[in-house]
Amino acid sequence: MRVPLMMMLGLGPTVARLKLRRCEAVGATPTVWGRVWIHGEGEIQVGDRVVFDARMAPIELHAQRGGRIVIEDDVTIEGGSSIEAQSCVTLGARSRLGMWCKLMDNMYHPVRGNRHERPQSVPLVVEEGVTVGSRSILLPGAHLQKGASVASGTVISRRIPPGVTVGGSPARVLRREVTR
Amino acid sequence: MKPALPSRDETLQMARAGLQMVRTEVFPRAERVVAVARARWLFRGFRMGRDVAAYGPVAARNDGHAELGDKLTFLGGMLPTSVVCYEHARLLVGSETQFNYGVSVEAWESVQIGDRCMFASYVRVSDRDGQRIAPIIIEDDVWVAHGAILLPGVRIGARSVVSAGSIVSQDVPPDSLAMGNPARSMSLDLVARDATGT
Repeated sequence: MRVPLMMMLGLGPTVARLKLRRCEAVGATPTVWGRVWIHGEGEIQVGDRVVFDARMAPIELHAQRGGRIVIEDDVTIEGGSSIEAQSCVTLGARSRLGMWCKLMDNMYHPVRGNRHERPQSVPLVVEEGVTVGSRSILLPGAHLQKGASVASGTVISRRIPPGVTVGGSPARVLRREVTR
Repeated sequence: MKPALPSRDETLQMARAGLQMVRTEVFPRAERVVAVARARWLFRGFRMGRDVAAYGPVAARNDGHAELGDKLTFLGGMLPTSVVCYEHARLLVGSETQFNYGVSVEAWESVQIGDRCMFASYVRVSDRDGQRIAPIIIEDDVWVAHGAILLPGVRIGARSVVSAGSIVSQDVPPDSLAMGNPARSMSLDLVARDATGT
């Protein structure tokens, strides 16, 4: 595996901080591999020990005016995933986002009526310990509760109860957590 | 008596207003001019209408017969958009259609896209999937949402919506919402949930 030069020199967190300079708050020892494209006028908060692995494809963090992206501790985000916030997107502690994920809290165009006005946005919450597979899409109103996991390529726009694995399109429950 | 020179506060206010105007008026127009010039260069092999703007990189190639309408918009982003028209193929794009980044449109035989369509990021439109080649027709006012894939031989009716991440393998009637894998269509009048997701 290719290890970035700056990390070999022990400058990883410093370079990562430089790459995350557009964020409002960055926690301890962030890791950024590759390019993170941060734009928009909203506020982005990054917790401790967050990993952005963008070696294969860049990661997009887009917080529009008044929007907020909160990434809590120990989150791993893989390349190609993009988070767009109009109101609020929260990623809980120890959650993982696979490659090419899309998290958006606004549909941007209404299904009916004038396609060029913007519908209301609904906050998107991913609670702690959630695994989101690659190429899955979280639409506004998605609420993944603690320990849920999402198979790759799934589209979700509602609440997923804790400890449940969902997959397929349209999404359905693949497995529930066995209570002990 | 009023002093001839504006006071410090007035100067600051004027400077701020000037900066604001530059940001809201001058920059977008300059961006637009650059985008139109870039599109003219990128789509030099295409037959093209007026005011086509490419705000980001576009991988465009035309070996067949490709025609772009007026006022197209190609947004830039993480990945380049690609518009490819192979030999003896026909690619028609209507006017005022918008493409977000990462869209890939491939024509091996015939792809027609209507007016005022919207393509979100990572949409794939290709009329060849390895087994067969069949023409794709997308009528006017269609919205194809993030990451949808249109398979060969589909016809998407006017004003329809293809929802995010769906894979369309059959025709979608007009005024309907297609979702899932494989995509099922339902009339837009029957969609209870509004686009906010509540």
